Amino acid sequence: MNAPQGKFPDESPDPGRWLDDHGDYLFKYAVFRLRDNTAAEDAVQETFLAALKAYKEFQGRASERTWLVGILKHKIVDHFRRTMREAPLGEESDEGPEHREFFERPEPWQGHWNNNYAPNEWHATPAELIERNDFWKVYNDCLSPLPQRTASVFTMREVDGLKSEEICEILSIKVNNLWVMLHRARLHLRNCLEVNWFRREQ
Amino acid sequence: MALKIYDKLKHSIRYWLLRTLPTCQQTVEKISQSMERSLSLRERINLKLHLWICAWCQWYVEHLQIIRETARAKADEPPDLTSGPNLSNEARERIRRYLTNQN
Repeated sequence: MNAPQGKFPDESPDPGRWLDDHGDYLFKYAVFRLRDNTAAEDAVQETFLAALKAYKEFQGRASERTWLVGILKHKIVDHFRRTMREAPLGEESDEGPEHREFFERPEPWQGHWNNNYAPNEWHATPAELIERNDFWKVYNDCLSPLPQRTASVFTMREVDGLKSEEICEILSIKVNNLWVMLHRARLHLRNCLEVNWFRREQ
Repeated sequence: MALKIYDKLKHSIRYWLLRTLPTCQQTVEKISQSMERSLSLRERINLKLHLWICAWCQWYVEHLQIIRETARAKADEPPDLTSGPNLSNEARERIRRYLTNQN
């Protein structure tokens, strides 16, 4: 047979092989950000579909994986946009728990840290933490009680490092709403990590 | 004697500042905002003074930095394929069928 050998620009795409080579990688990338298996599976499927359609433009300009991750990033943002649309910030907007109890104290110190919730020293560095799978389990569980959109903006900002203005534009929200959501996510997550991870590790 | 007066003075200044400055509850919101925008001069002075006398809010600043650095470092790492859930066989087959039908 005279089947052509090697890579040709007009070689037809092979989604089955993509799935074998990159499926797990893309799924893990998505599940860390979306924290939902079904949503991550959907994002992976949409990524491959978009990749099939855009295959001609790819033509080996980047590595296959880099190219697919680039598409996946867009699919993840699409998912965040949908969660915001499905639960818009309305009149009785729920940006996340205020945690007023953290600052309940008898006068004259009302509004200052309550001893039960006051921050304490953490003995760990980012380099150590990224290696600890059990830490990421706690991190995940700590984000779960937050409203989805609050967890989403936290991920966009603190995981993927998007700027405030970019997030507002993507999600069509006001910057003040974003700041309130980020503040509540941080307040909640910091306490939850301290109670469920740092105090137990020490 | 001099030491005692100094301690008393320090205590009084600290007490006065805590009563005058924004509370911890207001300060942690500013700390979060300082990660999003540049604070005004007045906000910066209030924050600096508050942190000068409040170890708890100092830890708070440090912890938000640790969380940010850790999350971003994790994002830069390739996912660990050896642990945690992979794409399930059902999902894999579903996606395979879906893509075959599209092709």
